[in-house]
Amino acid sequence: MSSEIAISTHGLTKDFGGGNGLFDLDLEIEAGEVFGFLGPNGAGKSTTMRLLLDLIGPTRGSANLLGLDSRADSLAVRRRVGFLPGDFQLYPKLTGEEVLDYLADLRGGVDAAVRDALADRFRAELDRPIAELSTGNRQKVGLIQAFMHEPELLILDEPIAGLDPLVQQSFHSLLREVTDAGRTVFLSSHTLSEVERVADRVAILRSGRLMVVDSLSNLRSIAVQRLEVGFAGDVPATAAIEALPGVREARRHGSHMDVSFAGSADPLVKALAAYDVSSLRSHEDDLEEIFLSYYRGGEER
Amino acid sequence: MSVPTFVLAVRLRFVSAVLAAAGMILVLLMVGALFPAVGGSIGKLDLPKGVAELLGGADYSSLTGWFRSEIGAVYGPLVIGATAITAAAGSTAGEEEEGILGLVLAHPLERSQLVLAKAAAVAVGVLIVAAGTWIGLVAGVAVAGGGIALADLTALSVHLAFFGFMVGALALALAAGTGRKTVAISVASAYAILGFLVNGFAPLVGGIEWLKYLSPFYYYESNDPIANGIDGADLAVLLAAALVLTAVAAILIRRRDLRG
Repeated sequence: MSSEIAISTHGLTKDFGGGNGLFDLDLEIEAGEVFGFLGPNGAGKSTTMRLLLDLIGPTRGSANLLGLDSRADSLAVRRRVGFLPGDFQLYPKLTGEEVLDYLADLRGGVDAAVRDALADRFRAELDRPIAELSTGNRQKVGLIQAFMHEPELLILDEPIAGLDPLVQQSFHSLLREVTDAGRTVFLSSHTLSEVERVADRVAILRSGRLMVVDSLSNLRSIAVQRLEVGFAGDVPATAAIEALPGVREARRHGSHMDVSFAGSADPLVKALAAYDVSSLRSHEDDLEEIFLSYYRGGEER
Repeated sequence: MSVPTFVLAVRLRFVSAVLAAAGMILVLLMVGALFPAVGGSIGKLDLPKGVAELLGGADYSSLTGWFRSEIGAVYGPLVIGATAITAAAGSTAGEEEEGILGLVLAHPLERSQLVLAKAAAVAVGVLIVAAGTWIGLVAGVAVAGGGIALADLTALSVHLAFFGFMVGALALALAAGTGRKTVAISVASAYAILGFLVNGFAPLVGGIEWLKYLSPFYYYESNDPIANGIDGADLAVLLAAALVLTAVAAILIRRRDLRG
């Protein structure tokens, strides 16, 4: 059983004082999944990851990675985990190649073929000094070092930050290959759009506390979506639209109506079908709206 | 000790250590060249005892006195001390604050092994500067016309190196314990400067004379290595202090939260 759990935390707490830190985190991440860790900056995502790597110690609680205790067995954990820190630096005078050589040596060497394939995939510029690299190119070196020893578990703090869209695509395909091989990815982000294409499940953290852990599809069904509807002829009464199941709010702007709704779009679509709908525009729901919908759910109870 | 970490740390500081050593050689050559013209004419300065003590006796009439005052008393320990302290603090707390160690220590590497590797690299840097000092002393004395035994020049260089080990280890312990580079550099430097003053003045004041035993300068120069050769007991004290402080550094960093 325990071998199927890649990461579990029990009451994991890091109290920095003044309400900052991470509080009573209970989390279970299954082997082979991509688990997204969402929250605004300062929510405690990086703190959690640093606790898992034993870079900082918990105030209380514990964490288990690959069946090993994050504190007592830290060295064994770090041997089997690849980590990309959120705001990391590398030796500025060294080239990417030299940095990777050093980090590979710390692991007793890595498969050169794997490392080269990663460098090719990301089109990393490894022959230039780190100091001369852009954020995105430095991030590539960070990603290569995290993946190059083919770890069973990847802990990636804001991995997509600074990557151009093309590199993001190759990163996504790499994640799929990794999880197809039964390995686990735990990645953080402060925007939903970064993780929604790759994550199976998502946890949302706010002010150091876990708000929710859910599958991305459940999250979507709960999340409030916004639809902008244009009408060629009659515009329905806002009260009628707001009376539909799931609809939270309807606002009319001339021949347009902004409708926000949660759950299935079906009742709304059926109701709109009676009208001459000239345009439909769906708005990307962002993390903040998902937070808010969870808050609203809490208030209603 | 982490060998890859040691090799990298030596490499990252190698050029600056060699430059410091080269500078030392040039300065010593000039000091040697100036002696025939200046040394004899200054003679022994008539200074208050404590001040003369700080300047290594301020006896410029003999070649030994000249080199003792010009290099042994201030310049040598200053260069060696600065090399050791900046390397120790920079390669540990400095890399921690820059956010490099947060990545390095996510690898299978014990923190204490990292600190020991950095300590060994600091020692290499100190030895490079001490070797430069030795070459410079030999060359400078030759330029000045000779007259100091090779063994005594070696003794001064060795005492300097051990002084560097000790203050470097202090900076390492401070850096490993706090994770703050400026704290490590300023406290270790303050200790060295205070030690320099205490060693000069404490013996003059009854009741606090014992303070000199807390100064690294006491073990570095009170037995006058450039005149009397190596003092094994003094070196043993400096080395023991360096080893204890290095061990303290390796212990302090283990359970602390990493910064940066």
